Amino acid sequence: MEQEELRLDTVLKVKGLTKTFRRRGRCVSAVRDMSFSAWSGEVLGLLGPNGAGKSTTIKCILGLVQPDSGEVEVFGRDAMQHRRECLRMMSAVLEGSRNVYWRLTPRENVRFFASIQGRDVRRETERLEGLLHLLGLGDWVDVPAMELSQGMKQKTAVACALARDTPLIFLDEPTLGLDVETSIEMRGMIRHLAEVEQRTVVLSSHDMKVVQQVCDRVVIIEDGAVVVDDTTDNLISLFQRRLYRVRGSGRIDGETERQLREIFRNIGLPDVDDDSFLLEVEVARPEALYDLMDILRANGILVEGISQDEPDLERAFLQIIGREEGVRA
Amino acid sequence: MNWILLRGVFEKTIIMWRRYLFNSLSGLATMYIVFCLLFFGFRSVGAAIDVGDTVEGLVVGYLVWVLAIMAYSELSWSVLNEAQAGTLEQMYLSPFGFHWVKAAHLLSTLVLQLAMAGVMLLLMLITTGERLSLDLFSVLPLLLLTVAPVYGVGYMLGGLALVYKRIQAFFQIVQFIFIAFLVVPPGGSPLVQFLPLNLGNHLLRQVMVGGASILQLEVVDLGMLLLVAAVYLAAGLLVFFRCERVARRDGLLGQY
Ligand SMILES: Nc1ncnc2c1ncn2[C@@H]1O[C@H](COP(=O)(O)OP(=O)(O)OP(=O)(O)O)[C@@H](O)[C@H]1O
Ligand SMILES: [Mg+2]
Repeated sequence: MEQEELRLDTVLKVKGLTKTFRRRGRCVSAVRDMSFSAWSGEVLGLLGPNGAGKSTTIKCILGLVQPDSGEVEVFGRDAMQHRRECLRMMSAVLEGSRNVYWRLTPRENVRFFASIQGRDVRRETERLEGLLHLLGLGDWVDVPAMELSQGMKQKTAVACALARDTPLIFLDEPTLGLDVETSIEMRGMIRHLAEVEQRTVVLSSHDMKVVQQVCDRVVIIEDGAVVVDDTTDNLISLFQRRLYRVRGSGRIDGETERQLREIFRNIGLPDVDDDSFLLEVEVARPEALYDLMDILRANGILVEGISQDEPDLERAFLQIIGREEGVRA
Repeated sequence: MNWILLRGVFEKTIIMWRRYLFNSLSGLATMYIVFCLLFFGFRSVGAAIDVGDTVEGLVVGYLVWVLAIMAYSELSWSVLNEAQAGTLEQMYLSPFGFHWVKAAHLLSTLVLQLAMAGVMLLLMLITTGERLSLDLFSVLPLLLLTVAPVYGVGYMLGGLALVYKRIQAFFQIVQFIFIAFLVVPPGGSPLVQFLPLNLGNHLLRQVMVGGASILQLEVVDLGMLLLVAAVYLAAGLLVFFRCERVARRDGLLGQY
């Protein structure tokens, strides 16, 4: 953590953010002492179940919700004290498809939101048109948003955020309610923003697949608190159980098992029947798979099939928030 | 005020107005029909009485009321509608600040509303056959100062609606309360002059019916008009700011 604090390319720093909603005598701790950072050019995912506090966190950063305590720095500036300056750097698509004027067309919306960001739309016609095309709205630029499909509306909202041309972009549930194809397009778009345009994207989602595919780093939030903050790759490999299931005919005798146990730590031999076997082996390094085969061959055991558990973030996520039975380290 | 912002907001207002031209014009038509009912009803009932300058007074009063309800509903309804539509939060994300975006919006709609009020005035004059003094140098500033308190009321109710959603039921009633403010005779009590629209309407009559120039009006009256405008605007904005704080605290800016 110390190391992270010193990074020069910190775009966003959140420290000790806390927000409790009090209404009608009810208290909801939406965000509790939350700290994380986002670095230049990365896609950071805020992952968490419904009600975890993702949207509230984003709104606190943007100044739409007043946090009880904590600090937010945007490009090294205190966002609460210099809200307007910081808003020059940030744009956002908030939850749902309600970020644009339904009576205006995508083109008109994009022009309006660019203007209220202070961008001279007359000089930027080409950029704005390019954006609309980039998002696949080319044929729809002149259709009032209310006549567009859910996906098109969402794309219009994203276009409006991009029209503001800010280095930091928040996307709250950008793929919610989109069909598979559109969702994939949206993910490609988000990668494009980070890789080609070097923007920093903070997105929230409870869809593990989306996060796994587009995010460089993940902050897992539960009950308003950060439970994990790590790179997506680390997180996956941390939970990657290279567990192989080997099926074959013949029996694994005591000697073979002894040899296997010398090399592999986690071995399971569930009983199947007399002349076939099922072997479960956790293989730490991929090369160890050769050793496994060598031992089986030396003992004259025929292998008929191998399968592997695919590791993914979903499992990691569920394990972290402890929803899966039989949590393994 | 930033030129780019102003241009963008004007552009949007004009597009919206044109796209919903039918709505915009049918609103105007409705108000004209109501005026005709008032006028012809008034004439048949008051046939025995000498109508005198009261018809002219009716025209001026109706003009003020039309402009007032257009200005008022633009503010109170649009804040609520945009909160419900989710665009309010986007306006709060403007680096110019919400209030400058809103100010640009109000300015752009005011220009359209003045144009529509002008058309309305023309229609009323043709219908009644009356003649009024239309010295723009006197009429325009008076008209603006007269409706300024309405913006204060609009801010107040718009702000309250952000926090207490139920208040919108009250929105329409206020439009009719404005009529009461207009017709109370200003002489009765000095407090009456503090009502929105009241004193301004009275002064506008002096100019438009009596043919006076703004320079010939009592300085005390003009001062009072300014004061009333300033007090309502300040009070309205103050209430709005407070409600905005509550809305930020309770996360209500984007709630529907
Ligand atoms: N304006 C509000 N007033 C009261 N409570 C609120 C408000 N906004 C959010 N909450 C509560 O705060 C908690 C966090 O909500 P939030 O919307 O931030 O979660 P989320 O992670 O975005 O969930 P989702 O995945 O459903 O969008 C929830 O328990 C919610 O009920
Ligand atoms: Mg949310």
